Amino acid sequence: MSGLLLEIQALSVDRGGAKAVTRLDAALSGGEVLSIIGANGAGKSSLLRAILGLEEAVAGRVLMSGEDISTLKPRDRAARGIGFCPEGRRLFPGLTVEENLAVVFEGTGRARRARVEEMFDRFPALAGKRRDRAWSLSGGQQQMLTIARAIMNAPRLLLLDEPTLGLAPMIIAEVLGIVRAIAAEGTGVLMAEQNVVPALDVADRVLVLSRGSSAHAGAAADITAERIATLMLVGV
Amino acid sequence: MIGGRSTWVMTALLIAPVLVALALGGYEQRIMTLAGIYAIAVLGYQLIFGRLGALSLAQGCFLGIGAYVTGLAGVHLDWSFPASFLASLVVPAVIAGIVAIPVLRLESHYFALATLGISQIALLVGVNWTEVTGGANGLYGVPEIRIAGASLYSPEALLLMVWSALAVAVLAHGYLIKGRRAHRLTLLREAPEAAAASGIDIGASRLTLFVASAAFGGAAGALQAHSIGVVSPAVLEFQVMVTILAMTVIGGRGHPAAAILGAILLVHLPEWFRFLESHYLIAYGAALLLAIVLMPNGFVGRLEEWLGGADAGSPPAPDPDDTIGRKPARTGATLGLRDLRKSYGGVVAVDGVSLSVEPGEIVGLIGPNGSGKSTLINLVSGLQRPETGAVHLGNLDLSGRPPHERARAGLARTFQAPATVPGLAPLRTVLAACPATLDEPTAVTLARRCLERAGITDMAAGPSEGPSRARALDLARALASEPVILLLDEPAAGLTPNERDDLARCLKSLAKDGIGLLVVDHSMDFLLPLADRVVCLASGAVVAEGAPEEIARDPAAIAAYFGGPSP
Amino acid sequence: MAEAIPQLLVNGIALGAAYALIALGFVLVINAVGAVNFAQGDLVMASGFAAVILAETLSAGFGDAVPALGLLVLPLTMLVMAGLGLLFSALAYAPLRGRPPVSIFISTIAVGLILHHAANAGFGPEPRIGPALLQADTLRFGSVVLSVQQIAVIGAAGLLIAGTGALLSRTQLGRRLRAVAQDPEIAEAMGINGARCVALTFMLAVALAGAAGALLSNQFFVAPGDGGLFMLKAYIAVTLGGWGRLDGAALAALLIGVFEVMMAAYVSYVAAEALLYGGLLLVLFFRPSGLLGETIQRRT
Repeated sequence: MSGLLLEIQALSVDRGGAKAVTRLDAALSGGEVLSIIGANGAGKSSLLRAILGLEEAVAGRVLMSGEDISTLKPRDRAARGIGFCPEGRRLFPGLTVEENLAVVFEGTGRARRARVEEMFDRFPALAGKRRDRAWSLSGGQQQMLTIARAIMNAPRLLLLDEPTLGLAPMIIAEVLGIVRAIAAEGTGVLMAEQNVVPALDVADRVLVLSRGSSAHAGAAADITAERIATLMLVGV
Repeated sequence: MIGGRSTWVMTALLIAPVLVALALGGYEQRIMTLAGIYAIAVLGYQLIFGRLGALSLAQGCFLGIGAYVTGLAGVHLDWSFPASFLASLVVPAVIAGIVAIPVLRLESHYFALATLGISQIALLVGVNWTEVTGGANGLYGVPEIRIAGASLYSPEALLLMVWSALAVAVLAHGYLIKGRRAHRLTLLREAPEAAAASGIDIGASRLTLFVASAAFGGAAGALQAHSIGVVSPAVLEFQVMVTILAMTVIGGRGHPAAAILGAILLVHLPEWFRFLESHYLIAYGAALLLAIVLMPNGFVGRLEEWLGGADAGSPPAPDPDDTIGRKPARTGATLGLRDLRKSYGGVVAVDGVSLSVEPGEIVGLIGPNGSGKSTLINLVSGLQRPETGAVHLGNLDLSGRPPHERARAGLARTFQAPATVPGLAPLRTVLAACPATLDEPTAVTLARRCLERAGITDMAAGPSEGPSRARALDLARALASEPVILLLDEPAAGLTPNERDDLARCLKSLAKDGIGLLVVDHSMDFLLPLADRVVCLASGAVVAEGAPEEIARDPAAIAAYFGGPSP
Repeated sequence: MAEAIPQLLVNGIALGAAYALIALGFVLVINAVGAVNFAQGDLVMASGFAAVILAETLSAGFGDAVPALGLLVLPLTMLVMAGLGLLFSALAYAPLRGRPPVSIFISTIAVGLILHHAANAGFGPEPRIGPALLQADTLRFGSVVLSVQQIAVIGAAGLLIAGTGALLSRTQLGRRLRAVAQDPEIAEAMGINGARCVALTFMLAVALAGAAGALLSNQFFVAPGDGGLFMLKAYIAVTLGGWGRLDGAALAALLIGVFEVMMAAYVSYVAAEALLYGGLLLVLFFRPSGLLGETIQRRT
C-alpha cells in the first residue's frame, strides 16, 4: 500500500479509435506538482480525462491513495477528491461567476456561501465580477474561475489541462502562483501543458509525452526548456 | 439499379398486394389503393428523410398541394388527366424549389420548423381561400382518370392505376439513387465535409432530392384526389404528415420495399385494431413509439442486410485497363499559397503564410498547437475563407471556390479525425468519391486500386477496427478523386510505429507517381525520413523552412515549441 | 370599440402568459436534452382534461364546501403532470439517449399521438370547460369592465413564471439544472448527477405545461385536438425569441398571445395565423438565430 496520492499503471487510452496513450506509468504525491508536457495529439488531454473517467482506459489502472478507481464513474471519482480544470476552461457559460462556484459545492447553504466568499478573498479579480456571466470574462479571469471552481470542494488532487492556453505572460505568472500555493497546501497537482517554460517553472517533476508514451521523466531541476522543446520537436 | 434478390422482392411486393386486394374485393381494394398512394408519398419522403437525413415536415403538404392542383385543374380548368397529373407533379416541385434555397441551409430544428410553417400556411390557404379551393368544404366532382378514351372509375381500375403508378415511382426512385449516387448520398449524409472534399456538390444534391420528393408527394396527392373524387382541407392536415412519417419510421428509411411495406402495414393497422374500437389510434401511437425505440431502422432496416440495400448488385468485373489508379489521371500541378491570412475574433490564426508544393514533392508542415496548421489546411481545401491571400493550383486560381470544386480540380485532403460512415462498406465509401463521369467498371477498378494503395485488402468488412484502418480508408477516399495535390492532416496520429512505417512507404510511392503531398504533423519523427522539405509554423507564421535535418536543429523551430505567446 | 381595448389587452396578456408557460417548458427540455419535444402541446391538452377531472372529483367529493376550487385544482394539476413528466421522460427520452435528436423528435410525436387519441377515446371530441380560478365575474374600472378570471390567469401565470425564474436562478437545484443543460459532461465531472437533473427538468417542464393547460381550460375550453396548435405556438415562440433562451421564449410567447387576440379582434383569426407563420418564415430565412440571438451553448 503506497502513500502515493495518484498512481497510473500501464494506462492505455484510445480516442476516436486512435491510440492516444500507450502503457503509461506515472505517480504523484500530495503537495507535488507534476507537469505533463507535450504537443497536442501527444495524449495529454486524454490522460487527464482518463484519470477522471471521462474517457475510458482500454488497459491499465488508476489508483488514488491505493484505491483502484478505474471502474468508477466521473461523478464518483470527483467525489473522492479530484478537482478538474478542463481544456478550454469549460465554465458554465450562462451561469454567473458566483453561480459557477456555488453549483459544484457539496454541502449546506451556509457552508456554501462561506466557501464562495473564501474564493472571492483568494481571487480578488473575480470578486468584482461575481454577478457577471461566465462567458463575458476575459481569458485570464476565466482561468482563475476555472481553478476556483475546481478547488471549491477542497480536492486532494487537482488536474489542470492547459491552464496557460491563450493567456498573456503576466496572467500566466499569476496562474502559476496560485497553482504553487495550492500545492503548498498539500494538494497534488497534475498539470498538462504545451507551454514549456511555465510548465517547467512550476513543476517539481516533469513527464514529456510524445505520441502517447513517455519521452522523458524526472525532476524538473534536471532538465532544461530547450531540451524539452527539442524532444517535442523531434519526437521520440 | 436494383439487382438480384432485391428485384425479385420488389416485383413480388408490387404484384402480391394487388392480387390479394382483387381477390378479397370491395373494401380491401379501396384500402390497398390508399396504401399504394401513400407508398408513393413515402418513396419521396425517403429521399429527403432517409437519404439526406433531413427531417422535413412538408411531405404531407406536398401531397395535399398535388391533390388540390388536380382538383382545381379538373373542376375549374377542365384539364385532361395527363395535363392535370403533370401539373400536380410540377407545382409542388416548383414550390419546393423556391423554398429550398433559404430552407435547406437551415439546421435541423429550424428546417423542421420551416417546413412545418410552410405546411400550416398551405392549410390556411386551403381552408380560407374559399373562391378557389372551396374552403372548408373543398372541391367536389374531381373528374375520373381518362386514359386513351377509357374512364377508370371502378375500384379495380383505380387499384391497378395506382399500383402501376407506384411501379413507375419505384423505377424513378431507383434511378435517382442508382449505383454510386446512393453511395454519394450516404457519404454526404454521414460525413458532409469528406463528401465535399471528394467533389460532391452538396447544395445541388440536396436541392434535387428535395424537389424530387415534392414531386412524388404531388403524384400521390393527385391519385388521392381521383380515387375519392373529393379534395378537402383534411388532405393538408398534419395527420397526413404523421402518417407518412410513421410509415417511413416503421417500414424503413432506405429501401423502396420499406415504403411499400410501411404503407400497407399502417393503412391496415386501423382495420386490424378495429377490435380495440376507439382505442385503435392509441395503438398507432404506441406502435410508432416502439418502432423508433426498438427498431430505429424500421422493419426493412433489419432486412436490408439480407436484401443488400437499395443499391445492391455485385459490381461488374473490373476493367482490365492497367493505368487506372496506378498512374495519375492528369498532369501534375504546383500548389501555391500566397500570403494567406485568417483571424477569428481578434486572434490571428494564419499570418501571411506563403509556401509551395511541387508535383512529386513531399513537404512537411509542423508546429505546436495553435500554430495554425489545421486552419491553413482548411484554407487550402476551401472549408474556410481567408481574409487575404490566394491559393493556386498550377495556373488555376482556387480562391473563393467551394471545396467540391477544388476537389474536382485535383486537390484532395484527408481529415485529422476521419468520419466513419456506418453502413457503407469500404469499397462503396471509396466509390462515392470517384468522379461521377467515370463509368461503373472504371470506377470500381479505381476504387479497388485506391484501397490497395492505402493498404486495405479486406474490402468487405465494416469500417474501423482501429485508427489505421479509418485513416487508410480516408486516404483511399482522397485518392479516388485522382488528385494531383494531396493534403494530409496529421495522418500519423494514433498509429503504432509499424503502421507509421507502412504509411510512410505508401506516401513515398504516391509522390513517386507525381502527386505533390503536404503532410501535417506535430513532431519531426515521422517526417524526418519522409519529407523533402519541412516548413515550421508558429503563431500562424512561417518561422523556419528547409531540409528536415536542419529544421530539427533550427533554434527558431525549437523556440516555437516552447509554446506560449509569441515573444 | 374604445372600452374593448383594455379587455382585449387583458385577454391577450392572459393568453400570452399561458403560452409563455408552454414555451418555458419547451425550452427547458430543448436545453436539457438538445431535442424538440413535439408532445408539449398534447401535454397541455392532457392537463386541461386533468383539470376538468380534478375539478369534477373535488366538487363531487366535497361539494361547495371547497372554496376557490379553481385555485386548488391548479397546483394539483401541476403535481399530477409532474408525475406524468417523469413517466414521459422514461418513455420518450431515456431509451433514446445517445441517439440523434431526430429520434426524440419522433418519439415525442408518438407520445403526442397517444395522448391525443387517449383523450379522444376517454372524453370524446367535444370541447370541455375547465374550472375557473375564482368564482367572481367582472370588475369595473369606471367605464371599463374586465373579466376577473383573465386577471387571475395573468396573476397565476406571472407567479409561476417568476417562481420558475427564482427556482432556476436562486436555488442550488436550479443552478444544477442549468449547469447540466449547458455542459452535461463537465457537470458530471464536477460531481453533479446529470441523469437526475434531466428527469427533474422534464418534471418541471411538464408541470408548467400542466399549469398552462389548467389556466387555458376555462376561457378556451379543452378538446383532444388542441395539442398541435399549442406546440406550434411554443415552437414559434422559442424560434423567434432566440433558440434556447428562456427569457426570449417567454417574451415572444407573450407577444404572440397579444398579437393573436388583437389581430383576431380587428381583422380576423385567419389573418393572425397567416401573419404569424409568415413572420416565422421571414425570421428563419433572414435571422435564424432569432430576434434576441441564440444562446452560447448549442448542441449538434
